[in-house]
Amino acid sequence: MPKSLSDTRPPRRQLRKAGTSNARALATNQGPPSEASDPPIAADPVGSDAASTSQPAEAEAAATVAVREVPARRRRALPVRKYKPPAAPRFRICIIDTGWNAVARRALRHNFSLIRRLHKEELLYLLSRKKSAEFIRRHRSLIGRDPIIAVHDLEAMREHGTTGFHGFHLHLGIMRTPRQALIALQNFAQFVATHRHSENLEAEIRTALRREGIIGAVEILFHKAPRALGG
Amino acid sequence: MLDRLGEAVSVVLGALAIAYLVYEIDRRRRRLRDLFHVLDGAEADISADLLNMVESGELKPFFREIPA
Repeated sequence: MPKSLSDTRPPRRQLRKAGTSNARALATNQGPPSEASDPPIAADPVGSDAASTSQPAEAEAAATVAVREVPARRRRALPVRKYKPPAAPRFRICIIDTGWNAVARRALRHNFSLIRRLHKEELLYLLSRKKSAEFIRRHRSLIGRDPIIAVHDLEAMREHGTTGFHGFHLHLGIMRTPRQALIALQNFAQFVATHRHSENLEAEIRTALRREGIIGAVEILFHKAPRALGG
Repeated sequence: MLDRLGEAVSVVLGALAIAYLVYEIDRRRRRLRDLFHVLDGAEADISADLLNMVESGELKPFFREIPA
């Protein structure tokens, strides 16, 4: 329905604007300079109480038009969580990811909480993108291979440092399809979980790789579809 | 003459098949070893760098409570 021209009352929006400008004008005239720059919503009850002693009643009435009190929301105090290091970690797992490979990155991100849950007993370090880029810049042979999951065998490192066998890298960045990345992640998770009490991890890794190779060869001989991991 | 030619072709084809098989197995093995790369003395500097980052406190253990 069209508005009648005979209606003499100003629209509500204009009234509100007038109230705001009144409040501003009052604030600039009577308040201190710091208050003058404050928007009307910032005129909280505390400020208005302080001003009310000096302001006339009509100014207060005009100011209340502009001030809308927002009920203060009580925030629940978050419980303080302390980091408890795992009792006897066998591996230190570092995840290095510069965000290079979108497919592998997505697979890793989607399954990260599950991996975390499966390997609660291990130490997990997550390098930020910046730190990962700096790290890879220092070790250029790793370019294009990230996301990398570096698994350090703490037992082996305790015995002979980093000179001999001391873990393995999972180079997820060389995987090209989501299925390949997922299978690689699953194999990694299974391997770490099942071999955490292993006495000779190196031999077991090499045996597993050999077995994978033989299975791959058999698959080629029988013209089966190539396994996602090796193919 | 034709017998000998047929023999030669079959020998060549057999050799090609075996070569392909060897190549394919080797390719897969290399790919697998590249994916699961065993760390030894050659990668000592990479691991030592990570270890330094951990020991210097630059890297903190990832900790976030896992929702039930």
